[in-house]
Amino acid sequence: MDNKPVYPILAKFVFDNTGIFYGERDYYRLDSRIDKIIRELNLSSEDTLIEHIKSGHDQEVKAKIIDICTNNETFFFRDQNPFNALKDDILPDFIDQKRVPEINIWSCACSSGQEPLSILMTIFEKYPYQNIKLDATDISKTILEKAKSGIYNSLEAQRGLPIQNLIKYFQQVENNCWKAKPELLNKISYGEFNLFSNNYPKEKYHVIFCRNVLIYQNMENKNKILEKLYDSLVPGGYLIMGAGESLIGSSIELEQKSMAGTMVFKKKDAANKAAA
Amino acid sequence: MKILIVDDSNAIAMVVSEYIKELGFEAYHASNGKDAVDMISQDDIFDLILLDWNMPVMDGLSFLEFNQENDLTKSPIMMMTTENKPEKIMKALELGALEYIMKPFSKEILELKIQTLKKAAA
Repeated sequence: MDNKPVYPILAKFVFDNTGIFYGERDYYRLDSRIDKIIRELNLSSEDTLIEHIKSGHDQEVKAKIIDICTNNETFFFRDQNPFNALKDDILPDFIDQKRVPEINIWSCACSSGQEPLSILMTIFEKYPYQNIKLDATDISKTILEKAKSGIYNSLEAQRGLPIQNLIKYFQQVENNCWKAKPELLNKISYGEFNLFSNNYPKEKYHVIFCRNVLIYQNMENKNKILEKLYDSLVPGGYLIMGAGESLIGSSIELEQKSMAGTMVFKKKDAANKAAA
Repeated sequence: MKILIVDDSNAIAMVVSEYIKELGFEAYHASNGKDAVDMISQDDIFDLILLDWNMPVMDGLSFLEFNQENDLTKSPIMMMTTENKPEKIMKALELGALEYIMKPFSKEILELKIQTLKKAAA
């Protein structure tokens, strides 16, 4: 593999702005992204890209690089088990046991929006009248625009979405696309957010979905993000991570619980904490 | 898992058959609804039926109606068709189809749909 000068410069830029770590052995994963950045920004060469990165002033360049170097892979009900855990264990804990009047949920790396929509469909199937506040954020402006539109082509709409859900919660729009109905979209507050930032929402959440994000971070950044997510949970709140993610190497006090075939992480209840 | 593809297009049947084999399942093929009725009547061994809509002799909808009226099989049926209008989808679901896959689709979409059906049956 060529050791192009752009690799370490782009990797450092991405790390500094997103915490996403591209080590030397991951540089090959930057190749197609470099081509795309150059093409979409209409740059003449990799050297020009380096100049843009070094100058650091152009917000459009910055946003484009972040868009292209972050992973937006997602689909409806991805991994399924976390949604079963939400439906069968977590929601009953708050709604039936603790009688919480409004559930606050945060999908903190929502990508093109399939995750928050899957969360809402899950809740509506079991608790159709429950008050829900759902925040959905992502670092990528472009992908967030897609999430806000709620429009998916036929292939995207079929990835993981049972046909009954498609018919019930989506309407067919032009070009064989499907758009989430207002009863879903209007419940979601979308916003741009960098998990690497220091300005976390003041809101406290009963459930935070942060899936397949921390695997791209080094240990130091993973811990920083986990500490902030911990602070963003209510006592007794749940953190849901990706299937291959864990708290290994982290000192935050979340209890690991097995629910619906998956691991979720629970913050101590206020009463337990006081007793501890 | 034995999966019956009911489709008059040999090309589509071949592609879907490859997908099914790659997913570790067995694929069988009937060229239209009538062929499927004959195959199932002879031996009702299929765990899933993938059913095209527009076919000669007996189309997918007629197959669903026949199945409802004659209690041919309890195997789950997934429509696999270019028909994508909500009213058509609902019609097929009303007549007993459990899932619906709109052509064109990827192997991953087929896999996810099969998983959903398997979990629902479990």
